[in-house]
Amino acid sequence: MELLTSNHSGYPRIGDSSDEQMLRRAVAQHDVDEGSDAEVRAAEDHLILLAIKEQRISGLDIVTDGLIRWNDPASHLAGKLQGVRINGLLRFFDTNFYFRQPVVRGKIERVGPLVVNEFVWAAKKSRQPVKPVVTGPCTLGHLSICEVGSVTKGDLIMAFAEALAAEVAELAAAGARLIQVDEPALLKYPADMTLAREALTLIASRKGEAELALATYFGDAAPVYAELQALPVDTLVLDFTYSSELPSVIQSEGSTKRLAFGVLDGRNTRPEDEDATARLVERMLAQAKSERNYLTTSCSLEYLPRDRAQAKLQRLTSLKKSLLGKAL
Amino acid sequence: MSRSKLRELGINLPLLPVTSVGSFPKPDALRKARADFGREKIGQEELREAEKTAVKWWIRKQEELGLDVLVDGEMYRGDMVAYFAEQLSGFERGGLVRSYGNRYYHKPIITGEVKWSNPITVVWWRYARGLTSKPIKGILTGPYTLMDWSFNEFYPTRRDTCLAMAAQIRHEAEALVGAGCKIIQIDEPAISARPQELAMAIEAMRIVTSGLRAYFITHICYGDFESIYPGMLDLAVDNFDLEMSNSRAEMLPLFRKSSFTKDISYGVVDVHSHVVEEPEVVEKRLRNGLEVLPCESVWVDPDCGLKTRTAEEAIAKLKAVISAAKVLRDEAE
Repeated sequence: MELLTSNHSGYPRIGDSSDEQMLRRAVAQHDVDEGSDAEVRAAEDHLILLAIKEQRISGLDIVTDGLIRWNDPASHLAGKLQGVRINGLLRFFDTNFYFRQPVVRGKIERVGPLVVNEFVWAAKKSRQPVKPVVTGPCTLGHLSICEVGSVTKGDLIMAFAEALAAEVAELAAAGARLIQVDEPALLKYPADMTLAREALTLIASRKGEAELALATYFGDAAPVYAELQALPVDTLVLDFTYSSELPSVIQSEGSTKRLAFGVLDGRNTRPEDEDATARLVERMLAQAKSERNYLTTSCSLEYLPRDRAQAKLQRLTSLKKSLLGKAL
Repeated sequence: MSRSKLRELGINLPLLPVTSVGSFPKPDALRKARADFGREKIGQEELREAEKTAVKWWIRKQEELGLDVLVDGEMYRGDMVAYFAEQLSGFERGGLVRSYGNRYYHKPIITGEVKWSNPITVVWWRYARGLTSKPIKGILTGPYTLMDWSFNEFYPTRRDTCLAMAAQIRHEAEALVGAGCKIIQIDEPAISARPQELAMAIEAMRIVTSGLRAYFITHICYGDFESIYPGMLDLAVDNFDLEMSNSRAEMLPLFRKSSFTKDISYGVVDVHSHVVEEPEVVEKRLRNGLEVLPCESVWVDPDCGLKTRTAEEAIAKLKAVISAAKVLRDEAE
């Protein structure tokens, strides 16, 4: 059985050193009309290269671009869609991170790439495979306000799904082998599961040869695990920090999909007990039928300071070694 | 309605009293002093003088503008959680994490038992009080937010952490009351983060405010209010300071369904936009609120702290708030 380490999604776009604060300075200058778009772009490029390097040095098998260019998971994608404008700040689920809320005012249409160009750029710069990430249709639907009278929440989610399906098709065509759809909203609004199935069916139909991963986090996946297993995706990325039951559920129900075990807490600096974590994953792996699975963090690493984020990645590598040492 | 409580405390306010949430932008001289202090170019004393000058400037400005309940502007604070974490033992300064957009802060890490040993805000409250005859709010970060916005490497559970924070913030509230502070605001922006933990937040707030002779306000913002209303009304405070502008007054239908039973500080200007609202826009927002809320119970203010705006923008927004309050106050009287 193959066990790969993967960055979940985001990575800190700042650190304590002057070099790591280049993007903050560039954006601040830009905000007061003293810096250009090109300077911000160059700073983003620099921070992405740093993020990729730190992931590689930490020993990861699969990296991301750290979502460094994203202001937040909602506006970065929805803001590029026709029919959507971006409004005020709102808390992102139960974090102390805030996103700008999309307001849907007309027909949602994808008029250009959302993250494809970012993926292509990062993939060229990385020795490791790069995983592109998109925010899922249910999450975008729930984080948005809809001002179009006759549009239901279901319509809205399917409209986002159509745009994302086109994006996933282009990502796959651009060479993405593993594409992650982030759906934290699914655990907060489990009643959306039927809608999610419909939306993901549409997205999966455009994925080509790529592996499609669904990431749920910021909630307990145990009560909906069976429904998640029935969704049309290849891989489930799971957050284990909200649920003491999830490992037992996986042990008893197994998995027909690849699993990404988000066993290291992406929201807290406390280092996990490596032996206990290894034992936990080992028990679940025994029931997973897939030939390949992943080790990752519970969510994006953007919620941690840079040094602690890198420490979590190093711990993933160490956890993998520990598990491989037990002859996986 | 807590107007009688205010009177008992010796505070007489007009209808629709105007206040602000707490923070104001730091003047350039203070920004430079903070940067110089960080680079060890100046000492603590010099920084303190720059902070005092800035507090004095904002007190004068609030008086000039005509606010009814003043704040010191938090010239001596960086982040609302980190500031308290720096003064309480048991915390370590963490690295930078993003709050939103291009805003970052040093998120504290709890590495040991958290303990209050000396008053944290009292010296600043006393200083501000000495500059004006108007009431000055004491402003503390609440236990739930201190817990939720810190990393925890010490306490076994979130509840243990939250209640430990409450016991320490209680000491600070007692110190403020002891110094003569009669209006204390407990900032709890995180409180709607996990609706299932509302009972814990209520228990913690009770620890902080119970039995203390002061008028308590809690500031809550940028959250999912629907998920904690009306349960949040059980928080042991007199007044809820809410962002009603950014949230597009989405709470008003909730208030129609289930009455808002406390006083409210009604946020009428967006603090995250450079655009200064037209007076009629602000007036309309307030008017909408007064269709649902009794005028006697309503205070008026910006959505949140104004520290992210320029001084000019902050002042212009405060003027818009005051102008709207005055129009509606005149109508009501």
